[in-house]
Amino acid sequence: MLAVLSLSLVRKCGARSSVFQIRYFRTSSACRNEVITVKTPAFAESVTEGDVRWEKAVGDSVKEDEVVCEIETDKTSVQVPSPAAGVIEELLVPDGEKVEGGQALFKLRKGAVAAQAAEAPAAVAAPPPPAAATPPASAVGPIPTTMPPVPPVPGAAISATPVSAIKPTDAPAAFADGRGIPARTEHRVKMNRMRLRIAQRLKEAQNTCAMLTTFNEVDMSNISEMRKAYKDTFLKKHNIKLGFMSAFVKASAYALMDQPSVNGVIDDTTKEVVYRDYVDISVAVATPKGLVVPVIRGVEGMNFADIEKTINELGEKARKNELAVEDMDGGTFTISNGGVFGSMFGTPIINPPQSAILGMHGIFDRPVAIGGKVEIRPMMYVALTYDHRLIDGREAVTFLRKIKAVVEDPRVLLLDL
Amino acid sequence: MILRTFSNLCAQSQACFRSARAKSTLSDVIDETGKSGLILKSLSTDIFENLALEDWIHDHVDLQNRNMLFLWSNAPAVVIGRHQNPWQECNLQVMRQKGIPLARRRSGGGTVFHDLGNVNFTFFTSKKNYDRHRNLQVVTSALKGLRPDMDVRATERFDILLNGQHKISGTAAKLGRTAAYHHCTLLCSADRALLSAVLKPTCQGIKSNATQSVPSPVKNLLDEDPTLDCDTIMDSVASQYNTEFGFSSPVTLVDPSDELSLPGIQRMACELLAWEWTFGRTPKFSICTTFELKNDTSICNATLNMDIKNGIIETCDIEVPSDWLPVELSREFSLHLIGGKLCPYQTSVIAAAFLRTIPQNKEFERKMYNLCRRVVFMM
Repeated sequence: MLAVLSLSLVRKCGARSSVFQIRYFRTSSACRNEVITVKTPAFAESVTEGDVRWEKAVGDSVKEDEVVCEIETDKTSVQVPSPAAGVIEELLVPDGEKVEGGQALFKLRKGAVAAQAAEAPAAVAAPPPPAAATPPASAVGPIPTTMPPVPPVPGAAISATPVSAIKPTDAPAAFADGRGIPARTEHRVKMNRMRLRIAQRLKEAQNTCAMLTTFNEVDMSNISEMRKAYKDTFLKKHNIKLGFMSAFVKASAYALMDQPSVNGVIDDTTKEVVYRDYVDISVAVATPKGLVVPVIRGVEGMNFADIEKTINELGEKARKNELAVEDMDGGTFTISNGGVFGSMFGTPIINPPQSAILGMHGIFDRPVAIGGKVEIRPMMYVALTYDHRLIDGREAVTFLRKIKAVVEDPRVLLLDL
Repeated sequence: MILRTFSNLCAQSQACFRSARAKSTLSDVIDETGKSGLILKSLSTDIFENLALEDWIHDHVDLQNRNMLFLWSNAPAVVIGRHQNPWQECNLQVMRQKGIPLARRRSGGGTVFHDLGNVNFTFFTSKKNYDRHRNLQVVTSALKGLRPDMDVRATERFDILLNGQHKISGTAAKLGRTAAYHHCTLLCSADRALLSAVLKPTCQGIKSNATQSVPSPVKNLLDEDPTLDCDTIMDSVASQYNTEFGFSSPVTLVDPSDELSLPGIQRMACELLAWEWTFGRTPKFSICTTFELKNDTSICNATLNMDIKNGIIETCDIEVPSDWLPVELSREFSLHLIGGKLCPYQTSVIAAAFLRTIPQNKEFERKMYNLCRRVVFMM
């Protein structure tokens, strides 16, 4: 009778268990789900006590010999392995507290069955704490001009050495019924607070600005040639590569000084237009951790080399995760390059609180009409999204044409045309 | 001391000639030599590669009937113990400025500063033969062998003191399932100014039960005697090791980035480099501190309270007097930090994005900017 009862309880335990149901088995040692108490090992060299640091938490399944905790005694870290495979039932000493040799340390429920049962509570208990599971990547994303970089899967963002205290929200097992048919489950991840706030601000900007976009195309042949001719000398003198960004950044600064309304912004609270006589250009950069927007300050006074150096410095800082608040704060105009992802054409969205944004796209060879003949030229579509409350059509188009003129023939800068 | 490379060690062992050398891992080669005592010296000065090599040896080499000594030194780095709190132990801002990396080792103990003027010795043994006093005896005897009248002594806390006053060596150890290692530092000609600068924590108000370091006055052996440089000392210790344990092992050079002879070592080094290990493994702690905020016209005092678990901010409360900055702004900012890493970069990104979303008001913007920078500085 007892054997039959135990068996049915075991079945129930295996199918849909929670840690609480397992408690019924504590006194039944006839059952294979035996709970054992593991004691602190004796310490070496006449040491009497140490501090316990837990590696595993209640409910974690462990294999035989897997480290459950470490005890720090007198500069030595002693690993305490699990004597058998099973599930951690109870931790008898809080983290960081002292233990003595032979003291009861933790309770382990033996049995490999537990491994499967433990996954169910782990998955069920895992609607993640609002922001803990969401990757840091989603912190910034004000300029989604193209498909934003795919944020990393929440679980994967967390540890190389699994820390069981944070339960990663792995997508539930793909094959739930073991027949090879994928399970059609979904899992929900709460939007993190920062993302919500940025979304709100973006929508607000879209509702107050009269946003529209004007387009143009840029023939990149001259600038490519210039780059090809001078890239080695440039590298030798300045120690960095000559790219295309510096041309567009400089062209934008030039055009912004020429059309001050594009560099200005409406202050909705005081109903004033703020015109700025300096140009700080925000450049959207995609990093492995997400989108960041460092600012190049005072571009109106810089030449191509200075700009290239600053872009390089900021890029390095972004790559090494060293960008500071002062590197990313402010900006009077934004440039976003969708071309790096292969975008051909698109409407960027203004990065508030600014009045306009330049979207660069991919360079593709196209047949164009030059002097009555068809030639193949490397062409880039450029887009300017602007706030029509402040900038009128004529200004926007002139602005964009000026950028086109400078990039197609940098001598325009020299001659101040 | 005869230096041999790993491939030479191979050549010494007859068995190796027969086996495909390209496929031999370090532990295969060691087994084939049949020696019970070996001395290895690292070709790398990268802290992560060297720590990974220690772990690799501990996990893969059969240490039941064998002892090994590993000699290594690193480019400037700060190394904290397994269960320590980096924010409490070192000056992270100075380290970032100077490009000094932080590493968390797997053994217990306190925080140390490594540079090329510091030598590390790791003694690998089986758990049965673990004897730190004997190991330190090797070091002190070696030093006395070089300078018989030098006063170097090991204490019960396993430090080595010079002239009874200055600490020249600290110890830490790890006891695994069947094997153990004990490593210690030795200050020969380290940069003491840099050492003091980086081991002075800047984050105030931390409450934690992490293992705390015990600061001690230090000295370089070179200050005591200008002829005692790192190489001389390493050779002397290696000799003494052979004498003490009755081995006759030459010093073999090892390249810790050699994945072929040390399969799996790259992954181990990557694990040690990860933020989740170095910072994320910090035992739960809280920060409670007050700081000053200024702008051109006024000053005020703000308080910050945070609880951090696994390096992630679990609760955050930044209070700024309401006459200086609207309460909603500081409160909102606090809420945005929750769930993020206690990391200046991540916080800068959040702060910059947050600053863009506050309603345009030059004064508030400046004040908020100052607050953000001050909070980031603490990390």
